[in-house]
Amino acid sequence: MIRLKGGRLYDPARRIDGKVGDLFVHDGHIVATPAPGMAIDREYDIPGRVVMAGAIDLHTHIGGGKVNIARAMLPEDHRDSAFARTDLTRSGSGVAAPSTFAAGYRYAEMGYTACFEPAMLPSNARHAHMEMGDTPIVDKGGYAMLGNDDFLLRLMADGAEQKLVNDYVAWTLHATQCIAIKVVNPGGISAFKFNARHLDVDEPHPHYRVTPRAILATLTRAVHELAIPHALHVHASNLGVPGNAATTLATMEAAEGLPIHLTHVQFHSYGTEGERKFSSAAASIAEAIDRHANVSADVGQIMFGQTVTASGDTMVQFRNARHALPDKWLCMDIECDAGCGIVPFRYRDSNFVNALQWAIGLELFLRVKDPWRVFLTTDHPNGAPFTSYPHLIRLLMDKGFRDEKLAQIHPDAAAHSQLASLNREYSLYEIAVMTRAAPARSLGLADRGHLGIGAAADITVYRDDPDREKMFSAPEYVFKDGELVAQDGRIVKVVRGATHVIRPDFDRGIEKRLRDYFDRYHTIRFDNFPISAEELVECGSREALVHACARPAP
Amino acid sequence: MSDIVRAQEFDNVPCPFCGLLCDDVRVTMTKGAATVIANGCAKSRVLFAANANDAAIALADGKPVDLATAIGRAAQILRAARQPLLISAGTDVAGMRVLIELAERCGGSVDHANGDALFRNLRVLQNTGWISTTLAEIRNRADLLVVAGTGITGRFPRFFERCFGNFETLFEVGARELWFLGDVPDDLPAALRSRTRSLAIDPSRFTEFFAALRALFSAHVLKEKAVAGVPIGNLSELLERMRAARYGVLAWTAADLAFPHADLAIQSMCEFVKALNSEKRFSVLPLGGSDADLTAQQVTTWQTGFPVRVNFNGGAPAQGAARRDEVDAMLFVSALDAGRTPPSGNIPSIVLGRAGMRAEGCSVFIPVSVPGLHHAGHLYRADNVVAIHLRKLAGSALPSAAQALQRILDTVREPH
Repeated sequence: MIRLKGGRLYDPARRIDGKVGDLFVHDGHIVATPAPGMAIDREYDIPGRVVMAGAIDLHTHIGGGKVNIARAMLPEDHRDSAFARTDLTRSGSGVAAPSTFAAGYRYAEMGYTACFEPAMLPSNARHAHMEMGDTPIVDKGGYAMLGNDDFLLRLMADGAEQKLVNDYVAWTLHATQCIAIKVVNPGGISAFKFNARHLDVDEPHPHYRVTPRAILATLTRAVHELAIPHALHVHASNLGVPGNAATTLATMEAAEGLPIHLTHVQFHSYGTEGERKFSSAAASIAEAIDRHANVSADVGQIMFGQTVTASGDTMVQFRNARHALPDKWLCMDIECDAGCGIVPFRYRDSNFVNALQWAIGLELFLRVKDPWRVFLTTDHPNGAPFTSYPHLIRLLMDKGFRDEKLAQIHPDAAAHSQLASLNREYSLYEIAVMTRAAPARSLGLADRGHLGIGAAADITVYRDDPDREKMFSAPEYVFKDGELVAQDGRIVKVVRGATHVIRPDFDRGIEKRLRDYFDRYHTIRFDNFPISAEELVECGSREALVHACARPAP
Repeated sequence: MSDIVRAQEFDNVPCPFCGLLCDDVRVTMTKGAATVIANGCAKSRVLFAANANDAAIALADGKPVDLATAIGRAAQILRAARQPLLISAGTDVAGMRVLIELAERCGGSVDHANGDALFRNLRVLQNTGWISTTLAEIRNRADLLVVAGTGITGRFPRFFERCFGNFETLFEVGARELWFLGDVPDDLPAALRSRTRSLAIDPSRFTEFFAALRALFSAHVLKEKAVAGVPIGNLSELLERMRAARYGVLAWTAADLAFPHADLAIQSMCEFVKALNSEKRFSVLPLGGSDADLTAQQVTTWQTGFPVRVNFNGGAPAQGAARRDEVDAMLFVSALDAGRTPPSGNIPSIVLGRAGMRAEGCSVFIPVSVPGLHHAGHLYRADNVVAIHLRKLAGSALPSAAQALQRILDTVREPH
């Protein structure tokens, strides 16, 4: 039994906002105050410390084919950051595209205990799970990508009933060991294979004639009817295109009131005002999020510096390839399933567009009123490496610091943004909401993201420091399932993380249709496609943690 | 009655013996011996069946020893080495995971026997990149396939049967058209032969050939009457076919482009295909995966940040394996093919090989079981995207490469 004594608890799931109290940990879980006389094996006296559940990143590209292409492509990212093994830890390298060990250690050192790979192509799921199996300490989970796969598009083109789609979606979650469904540029990745270069929400797909709106409506309905906790995770059409705010609003409407999560919404909040025909539409997007209770979002904040963009959105990545820096890029059509595009990129504060992107992201954070519906992400590594989270947290919590940084960006961008007029400073409670309680609730992780009795003992203890960047960079203690894994920003124990999954019920009748489809068209047999729970462990996971199918409470 | 042995039959078995990883093979097992009875190829028939009755005895300095002794001797060699080189010539993801950790532990280097070929492509990826596709896309979409400098079927016997033939497809592909820049393979399916064209060209001149195609595509007028020995008229015709294709693919096998600066030839192909995409879709297919080479590339990349040739001489991983003349010990793993033997040398060498491998000259030989036959595992396919889960069809008394390597690692770690 471990006792964490006298810390200030920030536990929004139980509406606890800085109350001083003790936490007791036994067998990897938070337990009730033990009876007097019960032996405490280890006591941590932490008066004044800030105690939160382990942080959860619900959108970070840490594993899978496209990440590994980014690694192989960028020795520049690895040469100067390589580190040797220790008695405890493996060697590794990388900042924008870190090696698996580097990613696991750094996340844990920052107080994160779960990371979700948001773009797992079913045809590449094995690979993603193997990489995540080599990502130590943190738990992992994946979102299976649908909406550009020929099986679904054919079903829709044939006017299949919703139930069949639902069965297919559920089967996909089982077969790929995933926890949620993602759609990237609905229909657009497939359309690019037919040489289409754009696909707006109401534009019919060049071959199947279905629209992105119909794909969104079908998949949001499937997710809803299967009671998958996490809303359909949507990377909307027209990423990065000036004026795409209209697309983003149309995407919200396409959900027809059902839950929908808009990911890296910063890249989808652009207007066309001003001389440069590029402006912030953060106000209208934030207002729409506030107005639609069915909508949640993560921001995808950009930070200045070198990174690499890795996305399933081949249509957009091909368009952006001309901005590649260093000047190299890769796009790939994948397995009648989806695609991927890798484009290295450097965001510069002296560049008007980049500077405005930075301001738009911060505006979104500060304008969306409900922290339960906006999550802290940089869309690692697309907006910035995840290691910039502490800096981002300081920007949100410290108006003076934010103003200082605003003064350094391209002056026209600063002038075009209303960031200076936004006085909001996030509280520790709100940070705990957006990095713990809200993502756990959104994903349906009943025993994570909070400090209540029965919760997994994923706990982060910070020294309260007015320099929030410093504070969030190196927590004093990080516990994973009750074991102390990091102390003062250094790994002290390496454990193996589990994989969060969901397994909705479905009618196995769909397998006959799938078997026929695989046998006719695929280069892998139907029997060899699904990943079993046993194979997941072979991939490197500790175990599959199966979560219940139930819609999160509003 | 004891000699009546029931054969056990397996369907849809993944075959680990070439990069295609065909997973529709039918195999029977009788007394531990595998026979391919359907959907095989010359390679799979031989390699599934091979070595079933070969003695599988560990050797140390040429003498039979038990496994523990061989492990101990291997660990001793690695501990004594200042610059060990650990090479895969065929092991699965699990084997690579331990191989890398062992190299890290010993401050050595890790590499794949096909490293030269892998880096012909990797240098292009690290310099300029490409736009590519995968096998199922080709199967269902490609109406034109241009094959540069390889016959394909020598390394990937069932490629045309599975990826580019006359079968039902998701999308209209018409009468598929095939061009070889080089020789047409003898074993091309008859149905394709009538749709096949070829241009005689020396692959070492691909750089100028594709640069010329790109110039023609960009509407430049070329003064030469021929490029790389190919008449301009033929270049123009090829270009027209490529432009007319709905979904064209340009494929090569880096292992077959064994000439100086082949990476520049590959780069020239990739830059041309990128340019084509300004008006239409066209993709490249860099084929690999032989001897689990792409598996080695994938695992080294995600574990260290650097592909395939990685050294830990300074503790931290760095790109590049030690030069062969600097190496003072070698560990070589070939669990798929007993014919894939280590390079000769006069340094201490540890060989983990499939039973039946002739490895007399090595310091330590440890026979290992075969992934996809004796144990489950993962390998990467020719397109470097799809990982296949291999199956265990029969038990084996031998350790897997990963198990043997783990025992060596554990012994190296012991205080001494």
